[in-house]
Amino acid sequence: MTGATAPVAIDGVGSVSSVTFVTSVTPVVAEISAIEASLFAFVVLTALATAFARDVLAAVIIFGAYSLGMAALYTFYRAPDVALTEAAVSAGVTTVLLLLTLAKTTRIDHEAAFESVNYPAAGAVGLLFAGLAVTMADVPAVGSPDAPVWGNPDVSQWYLAETYARTGVENTVMAVLAAFRGFDTFGEAVVVFAAGIAALIVLRREVFA
Amino acid sequence: MSVVDATLAAGYTVGDFLLVVAAGFVILAIGMLYRAVKGPTMQDRVLAVNVLGTNTVVILAILGAALGEPTFLDIALVYALLNFLMAIAISKFTVERGGVL
Repeated sequence: MTGATAPVAIDGVGSVSSVTFVTSVTPVVAEISAIEASLFAFVVLTALATAFARDVLAAVIIFGAYSLGMAALYTFYRAPDVALTEAAVSAGVTTVLLLLTLAKTTRIDHEAAFESVNYPAAGAVGLLFAGLAVTMADVPAVGSPDAPVWGNPDVSQWYLAETYARTGVENTVMAVLAAFRGFDTFGEAVVVFAAGIAALIVLRREVFA
Repeated sequence: MSVVDATLAAGYTVGDFLLVVAAGFVILAIGMLYRAVKGPTMQDRVLAVNVLGTNTVVILAILGAALGEPTFLDIALVYALLNFLMAIAISKFTVERGGVL
């Protein structure tokens, strides 16, 4: 980071060495609001219920609820493209694919509603979680002007400044996906299409009557 | 200045109030989750997730109004459609096993 590109929140647009900075970004508050706290609680509860549900079909259904919560969270953090992907992939395709898998296999009826806990495995997961939680202290807050990525003049600032002029798309993330790396995204679409075709061939359902 | 920025009471805007309302709806969703986890029949769970989906559409719409982002309504629409699809898929699965598609 050079001295001229200190990521201070300046109102308006300043020009530094041919890269026009868009710097009037209000940092999102670091403290957790009521909606975030309740969504976190909902997501954690659905995740735990999915993990502990003894019946597989019940787990699939609760997993659908989990993806609903995640999409609301993504939307709140103003990532509508991620929320749309979560909706289409997690709630739509994954649920249907898991149900198809269940239909092709056998579902055992269980007396108990919840899985019994394997304590050594739970301990290992707990240790991993604790190790990851330690690193969270060093992660910059959402929208923080001190985040290293924010002050990078060659990458993030360049895209923030040039995206609209070059592509006409207001959302920088969408512009990167659809314009700057459009061929990559096209390749991904081809892969997804091929996977869909392969799934239909495996299911022997080439034709929808 | 839109309605969302108007001051409601004691320095809080209508947008802040809507965010609190959205949080209230999320807390309601945790209540609905009880039925989805407890069951006892699959129909209870399908219905609970369907209500949860409708609740999510409401939350997304309120968030769109509170944060002044009309594009959130598009996500709400997609969720309304997928919610319907999910309920149909699970219902068909429980009635005629294997008839998901």
